[in-house]
Amino acid sequence: MSKKWQAIALVAFFVLALLVPTVIRADYTLQVLFRVFLFAALGLAWNLVGGYTGQLSLGHAAYFGAGAYGLALFSKAGVPPWIAILLSVVLAMLFALLIGSVSFRLRGPYFALATIAFAEVLRLVAKNLPDVTGGDVGTQVPLLFTRSSTVWFYEAGVVLTAAVLATTVWIVRSRLGYYLMAIREDQDTAMSVGVNATRYKLTALLISSAFTAVGGAFYASLFLYIVPDQVLSMDISSEVAIVAMLGGAGTLVGPLVGSIILESAAEIFKNIFQEAHLLIYGVLIMLVVLFLPEGIVGTLVQKLRIFKSPPPAPFAASPPAEIHAEPERAAIHE
Amino acid sequence: MHFLYSALQAILNGILTGSLYALIGMGMALIFGVMRIVNFAHGAFLMLGMYATYTMFLKSGLNPYISFLVAGLFLFGFGYLVFMGLLRPIRGHTDFMDILMTMGLSLILIDGVQLVFGADYHQINIPLLSKNIHFGSQISLNAPWLVSFAIALVCALLLYYVVMHTMFGRAARAVAQNRYSAPLVGINVNRVQGIAFGIGAAAAGIAGGLLLPVFYLYPEVGNQFKLKSFVMVVLGGMGSIQGAAVAGVVLGVVESLTSLYWGNEWALAVDFIIFLLVLSLRPNGLFGSQRV
Repeated sequence: MSKKWQAIALVAFFVLALLVPTVIRADYTLQVLFRVFLFAALGLAWNLVGGYTGQLSLGHAAYFGAGAYGLALFSKAGVPPWIAILLSVVLAMLFALLIGSVSFRLRGPYFALATIAFAEVLRLVAKNLPDVTGGDVGTQVPLLFTRSSTVWFYEAGVVLTAAVLATTVWIVRSRLGYYLMAIREDQDTAMSVGVNATRYKLTALLISSAFTAVGGAFYASLFLYIVPDQVLSMDISSEVAIVAMLGGAGTLVGPLVGSIILESAAEIFKNIFQEAHLLIYGVLIMLVVLFLPEGIVGTLVQKLRIFKSPPPAPFAASPPAEIHAEPERAAIHE
Repeated sequence: MHFLYSALQAILNGILTGSLYALIGMGMALIFGVMRIVNFAHGAFLMLGMYATYTMFLKSGLNPYISFLVAGLFLFGFGYLVFMGLLRPIRGHTDFMDILMTMGLSLILIDGVQLVFGADYHQINIPLLSKNIHFGSQISLNAPWLVSFAIALVCALLLYYVVMHTMFGRAARAVAQNRYSAPLVGINVNRVQGIAFGIGAAAAGIAGGLLLPVFYLYPEVGNQFKLKSFVMVVLGGMGSIQGAAVAGVVLGVVESLTSLYWGNEWALAVDFIIFLLVLSLRPNGLFGSQRV
């Protein structure tokens, strides 16, 4: 498919997605679809850091929670909800600045573990400061849409997903995108030709955190009530990362595909298998890892490429990944 | 004087808890050192060890201080099979995939156990539980914790001996240093990695068995220990098993003192703050960067 047709297909997809509520009006279905698009947006936002820049963040709950708690607490202080979302985006970006400036000095698994630790510290602080956050009892969140709210939440989810996707396309085609991918492929080489790795990694994280915070605010507002163990939990961080990695980290539509498959599968499993749904979900993750090890979209793109073009010359084959001190990321571009 | 005694008591309790942390952390460090896998199923392995010990206690009244060995053996075999069946096929792909795989495995194990045993909290009752051993008039230590401490100490020393002084240990350290040169000197990398993964899982399983008498049991019990084992591995210098052991004891003492002065709810937060401080000030860990 040429670039032009890809663009047309994506625009058509989002137009159709916006029109879904004219056909489906059931609250339950729209809520499930909202979740699909919400996690697509979160996965796409994560993909900027985890996929294109190759920095495995497992602490995106920090920004998600900043969005959720930001909306709740700023509104409580009398700020109108939409302004509160803007403020909570700023809050999430401040967190990103702090987390990034410490963690980005670390590489590989150290970075992943540092991001987990930051998110966990935030969760524990939110739990242990009941005067500010309501602690374990939780706090109320204002409703963003007062009339036919489920429809509007769904539409907001679609728009957010489209916005992150458009931002991703813009970044990938810009100079920033090339810097980010150069950092992913080999940070030392990128730095040796003058790429300021820390600065560009931080830029990617700031953009990612802003979108994640908006997603967190939407999520919180739909639920009306939040507790730290829900919006700041490791579960959120890993779900966001899983959606993107399963779909294909570093591919444009991977997180979208991952979210459609995983979130709808999760919902179906919940209805069919009830208590065993996480077990089946785990099996699904394992099967994808075993049989599509570059993610769903990543592996498909690779297969198509092999199908289309003659096999690469033997010397072009990349050396085993772990000869380098820093494990190489698979190079998947679209 | 009372102030001193309560601090001393907290430090001693911390050392007892820390010895179990140390065992868990050493298992994680071995896995990370030899395979560079951040094992997100480590907590689930510990939980399996607890449930295995629990089942043996329920069905045949076997004392946990004997049956923890069976749990360890079981986890060793299980870990070996997990590595050979699930992790070996994806070696050479990105480390994202190792993390996804162990996360998926963890979900399956936790939910599977929940299906079989239910989500309820359980605790076992053995006569030893109510015994306290007094040292002077102010200090007293709970007997089961002391027994767990002694066994964990022996296991940790044994693990150290295996890694530092046996043929397997030498092979494992060689693989940790360079897995592409190791086969050139005749090391079967897959087998060494499988055994190392099995031993790592067994360490978690044994710690689980030893925790059973003094802790409560529920399917997600492993998660907190998983997070702590990440902290220990980084504190100890990624992949250094001695470092992880020392870090485990340090963590136990710090938690115990935090609970005494600030309250229990801050203990885990302090763990993570220390972790972040060490990561940003000394990314090679508190004790240098030797591997395995």
